[in-house]
Parts: sequence; structure tokens; C-alpha cells
Amino acid sequence: MNAIHNCHRCVSRRDCIKTLSLSALGATMIGPTVHAMAKAPSQTVPGDHIDACMLRPRPDVRVAAAFFELPRPYWLGWPGTTYDLDKHENEYRALLAKSSKELGIQTDLAAKPIPTIEGVTQWIAKLKAEKPHGVLVILQEIHCWPWAEKVAKETGIPLIVFAPVGTAFTGHVKRACQVPGLYALSTLDWSAVEEGLRMFRAKRQFEETRLLWIRKNESNETVLDRLGTKVRAIPRDTFNLAFDKQTATAEVRDVASDMRRHSRKIVEPKPDDAVNSARCYVTAKRLLAEHKANALSMDCLGMVSAKLVPTPPCFAWTMLQDQGVTAGCEADLFGAMSLMLSSYLLDRPGYMNDPVPETAHNNLIVSHCTSGTKLAGFNKPAAPYILRNHSESALGVSTQVLWPLNETVTLMRFSNTNELIIDTGKVVVNVDTPPAGGCRTSVELKMDNIEDCRDVLGFHQVVTLGNHRRALQGFCTLYGIKYIHSPEHSTFADRANT
Amino acid sequence: MNLITLLICLPVTVVAIEFSSPGFPPSRMEADGKLVEDWGAAGVRLAGKGVPEPGPLRVEAAKLDQLIPAARASAQRGPVALTLTAYRSPIWPSGVDVLVVRVEETRGQPVAVTVGLDLPAKTRIGNRTVTLGKRTIVTCPAPQTGEVPVRDWGCCNDANMLPKWGKPTVPCDPAFRNIRAGLGGEHIRYQFPAPKKNKAKFVLGFCESHWAEAGARPLLCRVEGAPQQTVDPVAKWGRHKPGALQFDAADENRDGKLDISVRAGPGARDRNPILNVIWIFPASTTLKPADVIAGKLNATATHYVDVGGANDQSLFPTEKVEYQVRLPAKGVRELTFCVACTGNSAPSPTTSAWTPETLYRAALDVWRGQVTAR
Repeated sequence: MNAIHNCHRCVSRRDCIKTLSLSALGATMIGPTVHAMAKAPSQTVPGDHIDACMLRPRPDVRVAAAFFELPRPYWLGWPGTTYDLDKHENEYRALLAKSSKELGIQTDLAAKPIPTIEGVTQWIAKLKAEKPHGVLVILQEIHCWPWAEKVAKETGIPLIVFAPVGTAFTGHVKRACQVPGLYALSTLDWSAVEEGLRMFRAKRQFEETRLLWIRKNESNETVLDRLGTKVRAIPRDTFNLAFDKQTATAEVRDVASDMRRHSRKIVEPKPDDAVNSARCYVTAKRLLAEHKANALSMDCLGMVSAKLVPTPPCFAWTMLQDQGVTAGCEADLFGAMSLMLSSYLLDRPGYMNDPVPETAHNNLIVSHCTSGTKLAGFNKPAAPYILRNHSESALGVSTQVLWPLNETVTLMRFSNTNELIIDTGKVVVNVDTPPAGGCRTSVELKMDNIEDCRDVLGFHQVVTLGNHRRALQGFCTLYGIKYIHSPEHSTFADRANT
Repeated sequence: MNLITLLICLPVTVVAIEFSSPGFPPSRMEADGKLVEDWGAAGVRLAGKGVPEPGPLRVEAAKLDQLIPAARASAQRGPVALTLTAYRSPIWPSGVDVLVVRVEETRGQPVAVTVGLDLPAKTRIGNRTVTLGKRTIVTCPAPQTGEVPVRDWGCCNDANMLPKWGKPTVPCDPAFRNIRAGLGGEHIRYQFPAPKKNKAKFVLGFCESHWAEAGARPLLCRVEGAPQQTVDPVAKWGRHKPGALQFDAADENRDGKLDISVRAGPGARDRNPILNVIWIFPASTTLKPADVIAGKLNATATHYVDVGGANDQSLFPTEKVEYQVRLPAKGVRELTFCVACTGNSAPSPTTSAWTPETLYRAALDVWRGQVTAR
């Protein structure tokens, strides 16, 4: 297997890593295996090269935090006298500093725990004035829950309440979860808090993103509800005209060479196909940079159908996705937003799919001609892939990414910005085409908690490696997005019984 | 007389001010301060003790934050300075006009004023929504500061009335022929007075007459104080078949009201909820669903609402959009409205998260992007 990139010629990769280290992206984006990432061949004119990693938004993220406790010393009541308040406070202060640094978050932690309602009221006034992007409250006493709820209600700022075990009963958490914008964590596991901080960062990345919507003949710009992402519509011809002007530069040739070299196998594509696909990749980067955009979604099928380009952009999109730049198919706006959610919140690419019920085995086949390869995360080794052509047109280069068997995956799809479909399943088999028809990356999933595979909700759901159900639910909770799951019990049984 | 001289001699007239956002057709504010859209015009009224009859307005073009094109109308009405600012917020998919009405007391004495919107005839006025036909033309992105009178009971009226939509194929109460539908995903919401002992038995009646297959329009029904119920009318009763759900309601928040809502259920492909009938009975009543559905118990119900039909009513008695605003000395109040622009509806306050702040920020972000891109 040669999927891991060890190209020592890739000089600028170090520059890219350095840049990312200094950015708000955090360590998770820094990886040694990014294909074609920031390829800047020596022949390229200085300034001509665009680092894809620099297209990812790097917003400022300001979080205010405080410990809530009652006046010491404690006597009876939870967390109890044996709970070492100073020790825990110091431990969580250190962890918060570390997580904030890694995530590129600017955290303003109150110097001392707040022990009175008056102190809470003062802190609320400060929050209202300073308007941080998120608030974190760490509880040191079980009776402080109403204060936390007061913060959420009076500021309207998304709030994470971290209640180390010993500071919450079920009732506290249940009641708090009724408060809009409050995400309660009752655990000793700090990674859950870090995941929450990642939600604040993801939201800011959504807000700072401009998505190029390449379709039809429209030129305008709008902003999406709730997520705040800017959508700039540009005419579809913009892309193919730019593609026509994109010559086979040294960067293009290097990208084409790498895509072939790193593949496990090449089935249909010829070297010229790889060059054209690399031209797509460079064209996309240029358009994104020209519009100061960070993501795109294009009417690719329409362009192929009209024979405007010699190749669909499938492999180019794979490369962008692996570098944290959302590239969506078929100008499906909410498909692209779902890809973006995987990228920003989970730090890994996914792929949007056409869902096919496999009724003999009651499974779901998720199928498309592009998929990221950095399935486990941007800083993790890539999954192996086979170079294929785009199956519907027999043109260009697309990937059959081989997903790891028996691993859990998450399916997510924004129905709109107010609703997210979330499901999970397990990879059963990578489906080959042929014998199957459909798209090149085809993965058969055994779905969790869905009695009948025909009931799986959505189209172009984004498939992402790992079980992220709770993280996604948490994000939805913080930002007022309703989340739903496919029906657990068969709706076909209902029909049969009608 | 040359052309320049001629122009100088002409009387000064205020022309309409146009404003838009990149890539979309403009709206305009006329010389009288009215906002003109493809569905009609929206004007602002101001009345109150010491506030004189409408007089001339100064209308001018403005650039908010030196970036966002806007139209601004201003006038001094007795003790109150009135300013109307209209700009386009470029919300997806095609924007909405934002009208900000600002009233300021300028003479150092508290004053009570009525701020109203003049809208075309045949508009239907809800809590935070005004519709014209099936189009939502005005919404309030945040609860307004003024007081609005309400009836004893009624629909919060964000849902459309569709008489004769239902086509029940079995004998049943005639109310099953009419519905309200929450077009665009609006929730259907009603409010009733709570009985003395705070408890009551609610029955909601449904008849799905569009979808033939189950799973298309499941509904999530909430009645205050009762466990919520999800129902897929086709799966449970079949197409064109009336059915009913019972709820033991209680005034949980002790506000003297019982609230109900029907919204799209989990996984609904059709996000428009429907509701045909509401019955309310004393809490102790034992009901046979078949008798309720047949309309045999209408007379014993404390409330019987033919939803979308003859005895249905809005919670709001007025056919005007009006707010009573009390201004302290030198006090200022702002009321913000989303106004539908060409070919579009205003965003629903129940399903969208837009606020006056985020609407403005959207405009600022897009216009900043126009300056910095390229």
C-alpha cells in the first residue's frame, strides 16, 4: 500500500504546516500525509501557487469561562467534603488552557471561582458587554445549576456546562437541557469539554466561510440562517472558462503524478485524465482565492452533461476535502453544508452519497464518485484508493476509496439549517463497480437502530468515519438546530398493518 | 434657457429611493416613506396624544456603516422623532427587506404612542406574521416591545386556513373538511383559557387528504401539560379517514392559558403540518373517540373549533398591525420588521433564527465581501 504521502520533494509542506501551526486551526489539521498539500514545485512562479490549507477559514474564537461554586468550606451535599476543590480547579484550568491553545481559541477564564448569585449577575453583565462566541461554566457544587441556567437565559450566548461527576443528578441535567442554547456535560471526561469547545470553533468557521455556489447563470450573495455562512452564487460557465485557461503547469503535472503514484491501482484513467483532473484542482483553488471563498459546490453533472469540461472534478474534490476545504457535488447546497460540518466539527472529510437500499441484506449502500481519503482525520494516514473514471460518463478521474471494514460511520444531512438528520451504521463491505452499477466509492453499511433500510432518511447524506452522534447532537443543541434520526421501527410494517 | 437653468428652476421633488443587495432586484421607499414591494406597499403610522396628523417626511438615501445601501425617512411629530430605515438583508435564498421603525421622545416628557403598519387589504395578521394569500409578507424577527391586545382564544394565526381541503370518505363531523396548514413549516398554534381547576381534556382531529402513503406527513402534537404525541394519520387511520387524539391538558406554567401546537413530525417529507378540529371537554369526561369524530359530543364540549372553517378565529382581534409604545422622557424604542421583497416570503419567526442583529450582520458581511473580493 502506498497511500501515505512521503514525498520529500514537497518542500512547501513544511511551510504549510508552519502556517497552520500559527493559525487558529489547531493541531488536528497538521499532518504529515496530506496528498498534494501545498505543492509548490520549484518551477512555479513565486506567488502563483495557492496553498489549499490557507483557504480554510481561521476565525477568532472568544470563549468566556468561569467556575461556579458555593462559599467554602463545604459540609454535606454534593460533591462532598472529600472532593478536593482546589485540585480539581487547578486541573481543569490547566486542561482548559491546553485545549484552548490546541484549538486556537482565546479563552477568558475568570481568575477566581464565582461563589455568589451577585457574582454571577456581575459576570452576566460582563458577558453581555463583551459578547464572547461561547461560554463555559465549570460547576464545583451541585446547587449552582440555576446560576448556569440564568447565564444561558439572560445572555443568549451558547453555553456549555461542565459538571464533573458529583455535581449533577439526572434531574439537573434534564432540566438544564430544556434551556435553549445550553449543552450540559455530566462527566469526568475532559475530552467531552474539548469537543464542546470544538463546537464553538466550528460555528465560527461556518460564520467565516464564503461558499461558492457554481450553477446556472446567477451572480449574487446571500447568508444562511443560523450558521451564518455566506453563499456566493456565480455562473456555472465561470468554472469551465477558468478551466480552459488553466494550462498544465508544473504544479498541475506534480499533482497528476502524485494522484497516480499514491493510488493502490489505476483502472481506467490515462495520464492525460490525471492532468485534466489536476487542472480542475488548481482551477478550483484559483476561483476560491479570487472570491476570497473557503468552500464550493458546483453543478458538475450539468457541466459534464453539456460537455463543457473533459473531466468531472471528482478527484480534485477529493484533494480539497482532504485539506479541509469543502467541495460539494451537484451544487447541492445543504449537501455541501453537511460536508462542512464534518470538516469543521469533526476535522475529517466525508462524502455525500446517493443512498441505495440493499433489500436482500437490509443494508444501505452509500455511493458517489468522490470521497475524502483522510477518513480518520486530517492528520491521520489516508485510506487506500483506486483510481477510476467517473462511472456515469466514463470520463476523467474519480476515486474508489476503500473504507475500513467493521468501522462505525455517521450519516449526517442538513435538511435545511434548522434540521439535521443523524444516523449511524457499520461498514460491511466496499462494493465494486462492476458488478454493481452506480458510483465508484460504494460502501455497504449495516445501519444502527433502523429496522428497515428503506426507511433511511435523506439524500446526499454525508458519510463520515466514526460514531459522532453525540457530538452532532451537542452542536445542534448549542445552536438551536433540531436533530432527527431515521425511524427505528419500520414504516413499512405500519403500511402493511393499515 | 439652457438645460442647467431649467433644472435649477424646477421645484425640488423627492424621488423614490431604491436599495438592494448584490445580484437582486431593488425595492424602493417612496417620498411618503412607504416601502413598495411586488405585493403592495407598507407604510408606518404614528398616533398618540400630542402627535399631529401625518405630515411631510424627509426621505433620503443612506449608507449604513458606509456600506449598506438604505432608504431613510424621518419626521418630527410633536414630541416624537420618527425615523424609518429600510435596507435589504441578503438572507438565503433571495433576501428580505428590513424596516426599522425608531421612535424617540424629544421634549423631556413621557409619551404614549401607537405605532402601526399600513398594509394592503385582505392581509391576515398573526402574532408575529402577516400573510397575504399564501405569502408571508411581514414578520417580526424578535418579539416587539409594544403591547398587542388578544382575544380569549384563537389561533396564533401563523398557519393558513384551507377550507374544503379535507375529503373524508366516511361519515364524520363536517369540520374534518377544513384545515389549517402550516405552510413553509410553520407550527399551527392555538391558545385557550385554562379552566378553573387548570385541567381539561383536549381532542385533536385529523384527516389527511393529500398523501396516500404513510411516512410523508407525520405530525408532532403538543398540548400543554400532556405528553406529546406523534401521529402519522395515513399510517394510523388511512387517507381521507378522520381520526382523533386525546390529551389530558393542564396549565403547567400557570399563566391561565392552555397552549397547543402541531408541527411536522420526525422524518416528515412534507413539512407542512395540518389540523382539522379541536374539541375541549371537562377533564373528567370519558370519551368514545367514535362519538367525538362523528360530532355527537360537540354540544358538550367547552370549545369546539372547526379549524380553518366557520367558527375558527385568530387570537388577535384587530385587522391592524399596531403596537402601544410607552416612551419615557428622552426614551427611544425600535421596532424591526422583515418585509418580503420581490418573489420571496419573509422568514418565519418560528422556524428561523434571524434577529435584528444577525439580519444586519448578514448585510454587512455581504457588502464587505463585495469590497474585499477580487
